[in-house]
Amino acid sequence: MPAFKVKKVFTDDLGANNPVFAQVLGICSTLAVTNVLRNTVVMCVGLIFVTALSNMTVSLLRTYMPSRVRMMVETLIIASYVIIVDIVLKAFLPDVSRQLGPYAGLIITNCIIMGRTEAFALSNPPGLSFLDGIASGIGYSYVLIAIAIARELMGSGSIWGYHVLGDWWTNWSIMVMAPGAFFMLAIFIWIVKGATSKEEGGKK
Amino acid sequence: MKKESLAKRRVFPVVFMLAITLVFISITTVIYTYTKDQIALNERLRLKQAVLYSAGVPLPDNPVEIERIYDERVNEVKDDTGLVKYFAVKSPDSQYVQSYVVLRTGAGLWGEITAAVGFNKELTNFTGLEVLAQNETPGLGGRIGEAWFKEQFQGKRPPLTTVPEGDPTGDNQFQAITGASYSTAAIKDIMNKSQEYARMEIGGQ
Repeated sequence: MPAFKVKKVFTDDLGANNPVFAQVLGICSTLAVTNVLRNTVVMCVGLIFVTALSNMTVSLLRTYMPSRVRMMVETLIIASYVIIVDIVLKAFLPDVSRQLGPYAGLIITNCIIMGRTEAFALSNPPGLSFLDGIASGIGYSYVLIAIAIARELMGSGSIWGYHVLGDWWTNWSIMVMAPGAFFMLAIFIWIVKGATSKEEGGKK
Repeated sequence: MKKESLAKRRVFPVVFMLAITLVFISITTVIYTYTKDQIALNERLRLKQAVLYSAGVPLPDNPVEIERIYDERVNEVKDDTGLVKYFAVKSPDSQYVQSYVVLRTGAGLWGEITAAVGFNKELTNFTGLEVLAQNETPGLGGRIGEAWFKEQFQGKRPPLTTVPEGDPTGDNQFQAITGASYSTAAIKDIMNKSQEYARMEIGGQ
């Protein structure tokens, strides 16, 4: 696997082609889980696992898969890995499973996974597809973690459940609700777009 | 241009889909079979923790200790069909019953909430609450599972009422969760109705 291809996969998915702020994928879970940092981290780990393995599996089957049924096959593969994540959490990390509640099973609805299998795994070898899944997952994760830190801090005065802001802080309830997620995501995209357009302006 | 045969066009996709489905169902079935005992054990331990916590019994961290305390001090009272009606929790020296715990389910915002509700032996005051299952919004209604919320109910007397802001001063008041009025109301409802159930099943009224 050429090193330059691996580097391109990672730089694309973490930067210019980021699934959240560039491709605007996975927004539902970005809004839903980022009010609590711990849930966000678990969702991110689950997503990296599912995306990487789904990408690799679809890539392994790509030469045999009829195009008529490719989306059904991809959905089946993704759903199977999500079920495995759910079962493993319930068996070995029951507290985490309880915290995450229905969101573990909702990983299947994350369009990043289907998006990467369609856009990358179908036309690339398994090893590179696996790495693309990991890179996409990491690109998704750092955006969500940044948003979650801000939302939990302002909405609950805590990070990872530990109170860091004293009694002087009045919790912004809106940060724990959906509108807060919209605001934080929009601010994040604004900052990134602003920084990248300044870079492009400087280069010209 | 060579036309695809009927077999390749129609039959192969169906066969492929069936084969892939069989493979992945088999994999998930094997993993489920391998872990189902562990999952059942986790759920059973969770129930025991909930019963002890809502009865006001201090909980150790060690699961083996939790099992030991449960076996020594909790008596499961069942009906004719074998379903548990309530739990009678004995004192540390096992000489008398110090509290009772009932499991109740009520409607939450997104689904049902199941809780273990503890009462003193006279069934007049709550000894504690533990939420066993809920699908409320994480960070909002989901906060009914947090320690600060559950601890409010220790020693309170039904029927409960909520205090939206400020500290609850009455012995039947508890603080609501901001932005989660439905979830808070669901807990209030479950706890208020649980006394009636407890009196009927335990008190024989």
